[in-house]
Order: sequence, then structure tokens, then C-alpha cells
Amino acid sequence: MTIALHPLAQFTVETILPLRIGRLNISFTNAALMMAIVVCLITGIIVYGTRRAALVPGRLQSLAEMSYEFVADMVESNVGHEGMPYFPFIFTLFTFILFANLLGLIPWAFSVTGQIVVTFAMAAVVFIGVTIIGFIRHGLHFLRFFAPEGVPKLLLVILVPIEVISYFIRPFTLSIRLFANMLAGHTMLGIFAGFAALIGVFAIFPIAIDVVLLALELLVAVLQAYVFAILSCLYLNDAIHMH
Amino acid sequence: MAALAAMSEEPPSDPLARLGERIDEAQANARVGRNPAQKSGGTPGLQQGLALGLRIGVELVTAVVVSVAVGWAIDRWLGTRPWVMLVMFFLGIAAGMLNVYRAVTGTGGAVGFRRPPPQHAGAPPQKRNWDDEEC
Repeated sequence: MTIALHPLAQFTVETILPLRIGRLNISFTNAALMMAIVVCLITGIIVYGTRRAALVPGRLQSLAEMSYEFVADMVESNVGHEGMPYFPFIFTLFTFILFANLLGLIPWAFSVTGQIVVTFAMAAVVFIGVTIIGFIRHGLHFLRFFAPEGVPKLLLVILVPIEVISYFIRPFTLSIRLFANMLAGHTMLGIFAGFAALIGVFAIFPIAIDVVLLALELLVAVLQAYVFAILSCLYLNDAIHMH
Repeated sequence: MAALAAMSEEPPSDPLARLGERIDEAQANARVGRNPAQKSGGTPGLQQGLALGLRIGVELVTAVVVSVAVGWAIDRWLGTRPWVMLVMFFLGIAAGMLNVYRAVTGTGGAVGFRRPPPQHAGAPPQKRNWDDEEC
């Protein structure tokens, strides 16, 4: 009982289907299940929504088209036309995070983006990908990134380490931002839900707080997906349009 | 209704060709720069402000924490107890400040990077259009 009331208990990864390859543990967990649901749902909505491309779109079609246009617009305005080849990646990233965040808000659902492993994996892919794109497009000139022009030689000694740090910090800020927001929000919901379970009739008050918090979390869920996607765009922009 | 009437009054000469022209025109317009007035989404200012606000705090804290952790690890590896960590602590603060400053002044996530070239007159700063500039 006390375990169930613990506000952090909702983040435990539980094995559903134990699987092992040699010493590698690839068990199917509740996190994996949730991610599979998210991917299936997104694919389902997009494919089912666009199966008959009607001139006057129905609900699902307009949902698919709106999300497409929203991300396309974001890439176009932040990276420019040259960023469009990377649009599918940004779109995947955005929809995955958005759906994972939103589905995680459903009671008893597992919040995948509340796991630092998941968010860091995504941020690392963005970071490594952007760095590779930068080197491919600019070659070693990309290293000018860390030494801005017109800076006195003496200052470079201090400035270059700072620039290097602020570059390598990117995947951390990117992943911790999403992870911390989700963790904090869900923990808060869990704490008030725990109060509600303890105090009988007066449970109405913590439940009321939870309702309000849920609205806030809804905002945070959408906004964090947006922030993650737009920062990926900005990083991509840096790598592509190095001046 | 007025539009319908106007359409029916026009000569029915090749409606598909006119549609093609209109599509070309629309695409050309879209490429030149999207009209901010026709953008949906209610309050883009609020949305972008919130997004920026949520970025700032994490940016500062993470820079310090991560660089101290890296400094601590290097210290353990080289056996130079407090020194690398101390240096990294101050560099981390500087890097965090730099990132926050850049985020606020609108250079985006840019690192080691000059400001983007001056925008075309009248264009809002968020709507950069890189197509027209040589890169």
C-alpha cells in the first residue's frame, strides 16, 4: 500500500516479457510497451487520416495536415528551405514527444519522457547528427564555431573552452529540460493523488488541485515537445548556416 | 455565394490551367516569405515567450552541473583533486551565462557564432528567410 502511494512509484520500469541475448537485457518493459503504443498511434492517425485525401478534410485528416504544416512551418522559418530534407526527422521527433507526453498524462499510463534514458537518447541523436551534418557541410571550417572571428588572441584562451563547453552542454540541456519537466509534473500529480487517498472526505481538495495541475501539465506537455523540436531546428540551423 | 456566381460567369476556358497558375502563384508566395497575418495559432508571442522562459533556467543550471561533474571526473582520473573541478566550475558558469545571453538576444541556440545578418526591412525577427541570402 505504501509503495503504491509513493509519488515516484509511477516511474518504475517493470519487466513485462523477460528477454535476453547473451548478457544483454532486452526485456520488453512497460516503457517499451508505452513507446510501441505511441508509435502505433501516431502511425495509425497519420495513415488512417490521410487514406483518402479529401479536398475538405475530415477530423483526422485535418489533424494530420495541421501537425504536418505546423512542423513544416517551424523548420522552414527556423532553418530555411535547406532544412527541409531534415523535416521528416524533426516531425518524427515532435510527434513522438508530443504523444508520449500526452499519453503519459492518462492515469496509470507510463510516462516515457520522464525517463532520462529516453530523452538523452533522443538528444544525443540530435547532437551527434547535427555535428556530423556540420562537418559534412563545412569540413574542418566547422571548428571555427569555437573561435569567433575578431577576438584577441589572449581572450581565445578563455573563450575557446567556454565555447566548447557551451557546445557540448547542448544534449544535456535538451534532455534534462524535457525529463525534469515531466518528472516534476508527474511527481506533483502523484503527491496530491497520494494525499487524496489518505484523507477520506476531504480528498476533494487535493483532487481539485490535481485537476488544475493536469491542465498545467497539458500545457507543459505540448510546450516541451515544441521546445525540443524548435531547439533541434536551431541547432540544425547553426550547422547548416555557419557564417 | 458571390464567389460562386463570379466563377460561373467567367468563360469556362480551361479551369485546370487556371488552377495550375494559382498553385504556382501560391507556392511562389510561400517561398518568398509567409505572410504572418495568415498564420493561425492564436498568440504566437505567448507561445514563443513561454518556450523561451522554459529554456532559460535549465540552460544555466545544467551548464554548471555538467561541467562540475566533468571536472570532478577528470580530477579523479588525473589525481589533481580540486583544481580541474574549480576551473570547470567557473567555465561552466560562463558557458551557462553565454547560452542564456544568446537565447535571450535571439541568436537562438547559436554557439561560437556571430549574430545573424540584419533582417530584411519589416520582417519580424522570428521569420528569418535564409533563401535570399548567400551562405
